[in-house]
Amino acid sequence: MLKRHTGVILPTRAAAPGFRIELRGTAFCLVASGSWTVREVTDLDGGLKRLRVPIPPTPDFTGEMDISGIEQLDTAGAWLLQRTARLWEARGLKTRFSGMTEGFEILLEEVRRRSTQDRPADEGGASISGLVREWGVAVTGVGREAVLLTGFLGAVTATFVRIASQIWRFRPVSFVHHLDHTGFRAVPIIALICALIGAVIMQQGVVQLRTFGAETFAVNMVGILSLREVGVLLTAIMVAGRSGSAFTAEIGSMKMREEIDAMRTLGIDPMETLVAPRVLALIVVVPLLTFLGDMMCLVGGGLMAQVYLGLDAAAYIETLHNAIDMRHFFAGMIKAPFAALIIGLVGCLEGLKVTGSAESLGFHVTSAVVKAIFLVIVFDAVFAMFLSSIGI
Amino acid sequence: MSQTMSQEIVANRESETVIAVRGLAKSFGSQQIWKSLDLDVYRGEVLGVVGGSGQGKSVLLRVITGLVKPDAGTIRIFDRDVRDLSREEKVDMEARWGVLFQDGALFSSLSVLQNIQVPMREHLDLPQSIMDDLAFLKLAMVGLRPEAAHKFPSELSGGMRKRAGLARALSLDPEIVFLDEPTAGLDPIGASEFDHLIRKLQQTLGLTVYMVTHDLDSIFTVCDRVAVLADNMIVKTGTPEQLRRKPEHPWIEEYFCGERARAAKA
Repeated sequence: MLKRHTGVILPTRAAAPGFRIELRGTAFCLVASGSWTVREVTDLDGGLKRLRVPIPPTPDFTGEMDISGIEQLDTAGAWLLQRTARLWEARGLKTRFSGMTEGFEILLEEVRRRSTQDRPADEGGASISGLVREWGVAVTGVGREAVLLTGFLGAVTATFVRIASQIWRFRPVSFVHHLDHTGFRAVPIIALICALIGAVIMQQGVVQLRTFGAETFAVNMVGILSLREVGVLLTAIMVAGRSGSAFTAEIGSMKMREEIDAMRTLGIDPMETLVAPRVLALIVVVPLLTFLGDMMCLVGGGLMAQVYLGLDAAAYIETLHNAIDMRHFFAGMIKAPFAALIIGLVGCLEGLKVTGSAESLGFHVTSAVVKAIFLVIVFDAVFAMFLSSIGI
Repeated sequence: MSQTMSQEIVANRESETVIAVRGLAKSFGSQQIWKSLDLDVYRGEVLGVVGGSGQGKSVLLRVITGLVKPDAGTIRIFDRDVRDLSREEKVDMEARWGVLFQDGALFSSLSVLQNIQVPMREHLDLPQSIMDDLAFLKLAMVGLRPEAAHKFPSELSGGMRKRAGLARALSLDPEIVFLDEPTAGLDPIGASEFDHLIRKLQQTLGLTVYMVTHDLDSIFTVCDRVAVLADNMIVKTGTPEQLRRKPEHPWIEEYFCGERARAAKA
């Protein structure tokens, strides 16, 4: 904001902003006063819009913006003055400014120079064709993702084969590090979650089945459900959330800082050093965690059985023993390494897709978790149909 | 009329202090940044703040703008102690300054035009058409083409982000603009253009500019006065020329009389 007087002015001076029209000889004169700043611009704009543009009776009439009464002027005020002057010019009044200080003149000139450009329309608005296009992109995107993931599966498999044949390429330190991070450190949370869900299923089963007098079958339900589905699914979801996202974040931030490019220039294969140890560690760890999850589900169910059915530990184990057999256990366990492979592949692939910006990192971390959980559930459904059709 | 005016004008331009910092102390953990720092910023000048790394140049900017609390000392802005301000007065005062952060700090979910309008929306109640007109005007004043208005920050280059950030800082025609390393990360041509832009806007809008910088070219082309941070305080202030002639401090000597400084001056 520019002030007419370059010094401290006591607040008593502040005149109300405004303007009036005077006819001075053959000049229509807009006499502006007070402070023309962005704070007053709404009122001034309203007043100026109501103001009718003077129509010159003869061609020698001119316009004048007398701003000697303006105490404070900023870009918004200058813009209003220039807009009015432009409007008057368009009606055939040659308009000039008077009463300017040096500073006001520079500002008015700058605003005049800058406000004559035309502006582009916002193309980001919604339209039907845009919607259709977005759908098209989304649908073909799914296809592209599938191709990409399959290709990545191939690349990882080739890397595994290379490592198997040239064993010195294996990175034991990295492998053990990821065993610790994805496996050992996930034990408490997976144990707790599985025990809780086991308990909830038992409690709900007893309450619902009691209507039919069949509450003891709740034990069968918990046993079969835990071993076949709940243990492996809960474990996979927890691992996708904990480790899949961590893979994306680690690899993605390395990608962002060009570390992966640096590795390539040093002749280090990122598939061998980053992807293979992570995927391999998950394939080892998820079945173990699934076993833990299965057992904790049964333990949680057992606690509830004691509360709601009055079964003590020995009786609960006896009932379980009659209800389940090994095929239920294996039907669950067989899915674990596949879930691990999906989570590892998706996590690493999304990490490698990260581009330079932090937004892209956040986007791919979210996307890794969502995709991994989605694919794990789809594969689980496929397995469920397959296993029951071959009678397991 | 002129008589009453002369009574009302109680201080002339040169001596009006808009920011006065006295006895500022700040430490992070065991590391003391300043023991007792004094600094004055006068109306209508471009002040460059320089100093070695770890001397707290950016922290000083953050302390003055109220983002970081000092351990001791007073800060008076527009002759008001910032600690005495009520919530509303603080908000009013914040509308009188603008800050350009290092990478523009544009809101990533808003377009450039919306970014420039954020301060107007927060502080004032303006019709959308006026806000659009003013935002396009500000865009042109910082040298961005109107096509940039509907782009999002992620679609802009570093230099454009800085210009857009400057347009947002200037949104309400502030009296003081704080710039945090405005030319860092720009190529020499872009940096030189930005220096001239700052000079031009400072003259057009009558701004007081507080600029944290490393860039010797900026110092010699833009700054009226330079404050040097070293040894946990402001060791010296003066025009770039004065500092070059009489460094009187090893760090200033090395900075203003080194090879790069000679190149910048040449």
